[in-house]
Amino acid sequence: MLAIPTAILEAMVAHARELDPHECCGILAGMNGYVQEHYRITNILATLTDRELARFDQAKLSDLQRLPPEQRADIAFQMDAREMARAQQDIRAKGLQLQAFYHSHTSSPARPSQTDITIAMEFENFREKLHLPEPLHIIISLEHKTSPDIRAYRIQNFQATEVRLQSL
Amino acid sequence: MIKVRIPTPLRSMTGGKGEVESTGGTIQELIDNLDSSHPGLKDRLCDERGEVRRFINIYVNEEDIRFLTGKHTPLKDGDEVSIVPAIAGGSL
Repeated sequence: MLAIPTAILEAMVAHARELDPHECCGILAGMNGYVQEHYRITNILATLTDRELARFDQAKLSDLQRLPPEQRADIAFQMDAREMARAQQDIRAKGLQLQAFYHSHTSSPARPSQTDITIAMEFENFREKLHLPEPLHIIISLEHKTSPDIRAYRIQNFQATEVRLQSL
Repeated sequence: MIKVRIPTPLRSMTGGKGEVESTGGTIQELIDNLDSSHPGLKDRLCDERGEVRRFINIYVNEEDIRFLTGKHTPLKDGDEVSIVPAIAGGSL
């Protein structure tokens, strides 16, 4: 279970709506499954060069490269590493811990894509060695624009399992 | 020696290895030495000005070099360096 204050849930949906049709992304921090802080992180995907996109696997890379750069963030996100590091520093300074990463799917359901799962597993390779807690992965779907769907998942062993979200 | 953890997308440049060893008194020297043994790796990590690319975090042990002294962060024998791409994904 992950408990999120209503004000933060609303701020996450507002973030997704502001950036629609681009995907938004961010970080939630707190303690023991209770979220207390929300960090918007810039989706820098549209600014990446073709060579920098090489972290996406070949099939997905072709999907991205078919689109003009300004449309690539409609189907993918890349967090700005500097902002992510600053957020992590602030989280530590406040005595909190990483609880979840979030991003939006602007025209598909709130389910992790294969890319989401693959990249979450890449992060898992490092997470324990860097002594970071296991994050959940939250997706805000704007597929139905008037009724956003927000779901959280635990991604382990290349499997996504839904985790209950509770608004406080 | 310094142990360097390599993320999956860059392992094609390290013969599939997730960890390699190298040397260097600073992060910059380490990256130059890594590039000598694994040509092209520096280009994947750093932009044309030699700065770490905007989607990559480099940690020395558990600390991000952006909060140490960046590419001038000193290294000592036994340090562990992790190259960690920031989270990405999406509906594609």
